[in-house]
Amino acid sequence: MSAATASMPLTSKWDVWSWINGWSIGAAIVSAIVIVPIATVIFIGLTPNDDIWSHLASTVLPLYIATTLQLMIGVGLGTLVIGVGTAWLVSMCRFPGKRIFEWALLLPLAVPAYVIAYVYTDIFEFAGPIQSLLREAFGWTSKKEYWFPEIRSLGGAISMMTLVLYPYVYLLSRAAFMEQSVCMLEASRVLGRSPLRSFFSVALPLARPAIVVGISLVLMETLNDFGTVDFFAVSTFTLGIYDVWLNMNNVAGAAQLATTLLGFVTFLVLVERFARRKQRFHNMTAKYTALPGYELEGTRGYLATICCALPIVFGFIVPAGVLTGLAVLHFDSSTNADIFRFAGNSVMLSGLAAALAVAIGTFMAYAVRLGRGRLLGVLVRFASMGYAVPGAVLAVGVLVSLGALDNGIDGFMRENIGISSGLLFSGTIVAVTIGYLVRFLALAFGTVEASLGKITSSMDGAARSLGHGPLSTFRRIHLPLIRGSVLAASILVFVDSMKELPMTVILRPFNFHTLATYVHQFASDEQLGEASLAALAIVCFGILPVIVLSFAITRSRPGSPVEVQVS
Amino acid sequence: MKDLHVYGVSHFRGDKQILDNASLLVPAGELSCLLGPSGCGKTTLLRLTAGLERLQTGKILIDDLVVADENLHVPTELRGIGLMFQDYALFPHLSILDNVTFGIRGVSGTEARRRAMEMLDQVSMTDHASKHPHMLSGGQQQRVALARALAPLPKLLLLDEPFSGLDANMREQIREETLSVLKQSGVATVMVTHDPEEAMFMADRIKILGTNGRMLQTGRPHDIYFHPQHRLVAKMFGLMNRFESVVDGGYVDTPLGRLRAPEFEEGQQVEVLVRPEGVLLVSDGGDGVPVEVQSTHLLGHDNIVRVRLTNDIENDANKNELYVRVHHAFEPELSRMITAGVDSRYTFIYALKKNRAENTDPAIRADRSKLHSSKSMRLEIEP
Repeated sequence: MSAATASMPLTSKWDVWSWINGWSIGAAIVSAIVIVPIATVIFIGLTPNDDIWSHLASTVLPLYIATTLQLMIGVGLGTLVIGVGTAWLVSMCRFPGKRIFEWALLLPLAVPAYVIAYVYTDIFEFAGPIQSLLREAFGWTSKKEYWFPEIRSLGGAISMMTLVLYPYVYLLSRAAFMEQSVCMLEASRVLGRSPLRSFFSVALPLARPAIVVGISLVLMETLNDFGTVDFFAVSTFTLGIYDVWLNMNNVAGAAQLATTLLGFVTFLVLVERFARRKQRFHNMTAKYTALPGYELEGTRGYLATICCALPIVFGFIVPAGVLTGLAVLHFDSSTNADIFRFAGNSVMLSGLAAALAVAIGTFMAYAVRLGRGRLLGVLVRFASMGYAVPGAVLAVGVLVSLGALDNGIDGFMRENIGISSGLLFSGTIVAVTIGYLVRFLALAFGTVEASLGKITSSMDGAARSLGHGPLSTFRRIHLPLIRGSVLAASILVFVDSMKELPMTVILRPFNFHTLATYVHQFASDEQLGEASLAALAIVCFGILPVIVLSFAITRSRPGSPVEVQVS
Repeated sequence: MKDLHVYGVSHFRGDKQILDNASLLVPAGELSCLLGPSGCGKTTLLRLTAGLERLQTGKILIDDLVVADENLHVPTELRGIGLMFQDYALFPHLSILDNVTFGIRGVSGTEARRRAMEMLDQVSMTDHASKHPHMLSGGQQQRVALARALAPLPKLLLLDEPFSGLDANMREQIREETLSVLKQSGVATVMVTHDPEEAMFMADRIKILGTNGRMLQTGRPHDIYFHPQHRLVAKMFGLMNRFESVVDGGYVDTPLGRLRAPEFEEGQQVEVLVRPEGVLLVSDGGDGVPVEVQSTHLLGHDNIVRVRLTNDIENDANKNELYVRVHHAFEPELSRMITAGVDSRYTFIYALKKNRAENTDPAIRADRSKLHSSKSMRLEIEP
């Protein structure tokens, strides 16, 4: 015992808490960076100042709520039918083209909602090819002589968003169908149910949690959308925030609207979390066998082919085709020095956001793995809520909190040094990058965390017992093993940042354009031809994550090295 | 003196007590086995020693240095231990050689590789040095894991169920090889297992943990088998014949005859456990009790024979079956009279009913209540 006591000072620097705190504190700081903008919005929104709230409530608020709800219901139902239907067909049936549809059904994900809205408006508007053709064919001359659906309407917005958002539901329900044990379906068949009735009584209830997660992700994207509703003049909350912020120049009002919108989002997040918990409960079988593959023959087979082809044709082939045509047609006017500069801006910003998000997300995921602190877990969960918060709300939060920081620094500098530092961060690309980071950190964190979770803890133990510390263990064991997922996470964040419109519009520096804002500006002025090349570039970049996702889904069975967290 | 001392370690996970004041001493150069049923806390004790979990109460010393107590936690990587996991935890992205080199630090790359090859040579895996773990069989992976754990010359080696991933045929061979490698290296080793045979084979010293991580007995394999100090220890090696009786004049009466029980008080209720190999069957007369053979089961090198006591009037017929292990092919001739005797080396007597309040083990309590409700003499098949 005397030897033991004598040795105490040697080892006492390894106090129980000291070494783990470096990681915990780092993760806490990062979490704070993400939480502050959201907290700011809520704080301003709940602080009573000018009587804007009652004014809003009596004027536009009921309209915003009604429109937003209608949009959510429409898009929710549309994506439910298309997403689950196609997922069931390609997972459980055999019909012509099934192998292609498995990945091709994800393609519409590459097209941002605002881009598809511009394209279809171009096609369906009064001066567009369809209506011109009809007029020519039937000899009509004015709009009064015939009825044609108005694309720039709530219904139009629902259709556009459904077409590009259904892949979320498809992706998750397909994964759920593939995880189901064939035995259960076979048991249902043996007990006398037809394939279709087995679907409704066994497969669908089992996949329900996954479908709910998919729909809530779709609805979060719907709430986030700005480009489509702006162009179609559909008065949703997001549009209202822009209106109050930019046109009425009223920060408090915007924050109050944003807080209300956060209420919607919180509800969705709760639904999603609840469903995810149930999902774990539902996956109880460890046995995986090949899915049965009902043979659909003759007409039924071709019907299935058509059902799966339609969403791809309207959601991807038509918009991509039209954009390509326009880009060729307007090649000279759309190719100018500007577009390369804007593309450069896009790549730089998205690259920065991807690098930061993945680095920070990985750091946080590893900190969670190292530490057992409950507080850390809660903080990290909060920090990964950003994906649910609509871009407009985040933009308000980032701008207000950075403005406060700028003013604080400026005040400090003036008082102590006598120089005005002015606005350091507001209206710079720092603001845009922070916005992207807050919104997409969850995507990076989730992907890396899922991948880390597949490495057994005995790997950590083995490396540590062989004399390597936490950092060395991470560099030599974890990092090589999760490399694929880190790459996937980078691609996802990069492309999502590139497509991002609502935050970029508000946060970008004056006269600074990315491909997305450039497309938005020109297409809004009905000059889609000019912007077609830029829009096509966004779509092309958008195909990258589709490749990553389809790679992930084909290897989504247990033991796959790459897992992508869809959010 | 590179040994391990564990003093009074108690551990809770939530409300559940995993370890209760467990202590342990593993001298340098010795192989100790922690043996116990699953969930008895033996793996937790190993993880606490390795520093993979934080110690709550007690003290752990390795090589006379405190590595953990209530407010000190030396990280795993500074404890100088080797650790081998149940799933081997070979790094899948590294070659076998790189896996073994991984822990050799503070020397040049060439020297590290030379030492790693030396280790691989000891486990006869040099031919596979450039392969990756997924290309090896379970037994080969086990050998690599052992080489990797020993390569940094640890002060203490911890093995967590090292053979449970192997199939039965392979296990014995690997066990033997592992033992010879460990003896060669002379490192103090703690091995966790739930297989008594494995512990008997490997260990210089066996430490048996009961539920809640109470240390039941420590001793050489011989002591554990022939002098189990606790009924649970006696029952670890498979099924037992069990009788209940009362001490009468320094003796207890069992259906197999009188047994000496000098250390018990007069009138003490006792439980008598007889190993199946402790029942001796004799054909053609002899001193024992007449029995009737019910069935025999050839297991290979020995036979399990179920017999029934014929002259027992007092008891319910179904309950007086005995299990007997016979070390040669046993073919009873039905006409002949067979008698059974008992070998006192395989017979253990434990007090019942004594210190009832002290005994809080729910398993024992349940067992006892079951006993009192049934007839006093019966056979129990212990799993």
